[in-house]
Amino acid sequence: MSLSTHTTISGFLLPSIHSAPPFFTEQPNPTTQSIATEQWIRLILSYARHRKLFVLRVEDAETTDGDWEEILRNDRINRKVLPGHLSNFMKVMVERNLAGYEPPRQMRSVLVYWRLPEEWAEVLYDWVVSSGQLSTILTFYDITDPPIESPLTNIPIPLLRKAIAILGKTGRSQLIAIADGEGVRFLPRSK
Amino acid sequence: MGGNQSLPKITPQDKAILDLKLQRDKLKQYQKKIQAVLDREHAIAKAQMAAGHKDRALIALRRRKYQQSLLGKTDEQLENLEQLVSTIEFSLVEVSVLHGLKQGNEVLKEIHKEMNVESVEKLLEETAEAREYQREIGKMLSNNLTLEDEEAVQKELLALQQDITAEATTELELPNVPAAEPVARTSEEPEPALVKKVAIAG
Repeated sequence: MSLSTHTTISGFLLPSIHSAPPFFTEQPNPTTQSIATEQWIRLILSYARHRKLFVLRVEDAETTDGDWEEILRNDRINRKVLPGHLSNFMKVMVERNLAGYEPPRQMRSVLVYWRLPEEWAEVLYDWVVSSGQLSTILTFYDITDPPIESPLTNIPIPLLRKAIAILGKTGRSQLIAIADGEGVRFLPRSK
Repeated sequence: MGGNQSLPKITPQDKAILDLKLQRDKLKQYQKKIQAVLDREHAIAKAQMAAGHKDRALIALRRRKYQQSLLGKTDEQLENLEQLVSTIEFSLVEVSVLHGLKQGNEVLKEIHKEMNVESVEKLLEETAEAREYQREIGKMLSNNLTLEDEEAVQKELLALQQDITAEATTELELPNVPAAEPVARTSEEPEPALVKKVAIAG
């Protein structure tokens, strides 16, 4: 069978290696395995970026019609990634800070950092500045669910918190907590 | 970085605004929920109709109608809340405008203190005096000049005048005054043209 790239229904271009059956199983040779893992991580990150997916779970390898089905299964060669295999990738990704276990202290689901929290912080700040919301008190809902779609639409709250905390280190954000919930205020960059 | 101390204080106003906004979010989420219920009731009614249970479908549709009215009401409430939030935020802007005006006013006052009317008058007086002094000096100097050189200047002026008159007499050849009478009353039509010609030729 010749290896070729393939465009999925969602318009994602799968690399040719994705139609190689050995790519879907763990390789006994450590060198081969590490190369395959490398490829998988790159694939997961670029697919997440393409579909704006934030959460990857071990069970995504088991369910059909999940968000990740297009890359975790390849029906053309009748292969799919097994859950154990997927959880290995997740572990490596967390080790390299390309993902974070969310909720913490479990290993079944991760937040995929196709933008690093530091990058999200800048995206967030740029959005706030360009939409003229500096010094305005915003709720998390304002950010994750704005009336007009923004780059931050549907960003998971834990990731948002990280970004806010990063901005807080340079005095660009301020968390405000009251009994009913939390909000945040972004401040102009100090000189 | 010492960014922490530069953070503005969280005032009770801020908390109140946040509270309002959180309430608003809750309403929005509630609306989402009602929308989901609406869709669900619609699906139920459809399924019941397909199964032939007309009365149950009717009940589902009634429930749906009720939820729809709730949705309308929440819309109104949401509008109220958002208006309130906007009003508060606008008032805050007004407060900061007022603050700006106040500061500007103070600066102006400060400047005026340094620049009171008396000192301006004094300054103007001094300037006038200085100008007067300058004028006197000028006058003195010019007087000196005329006393000593008046004659020479006059002479020079005369020479210039003579030069000019000499130039005028040598270079200009003025036509002679016509000796003949300008008008010949008794002659015919072409006569005036002839007179003109003579004048030019002369």
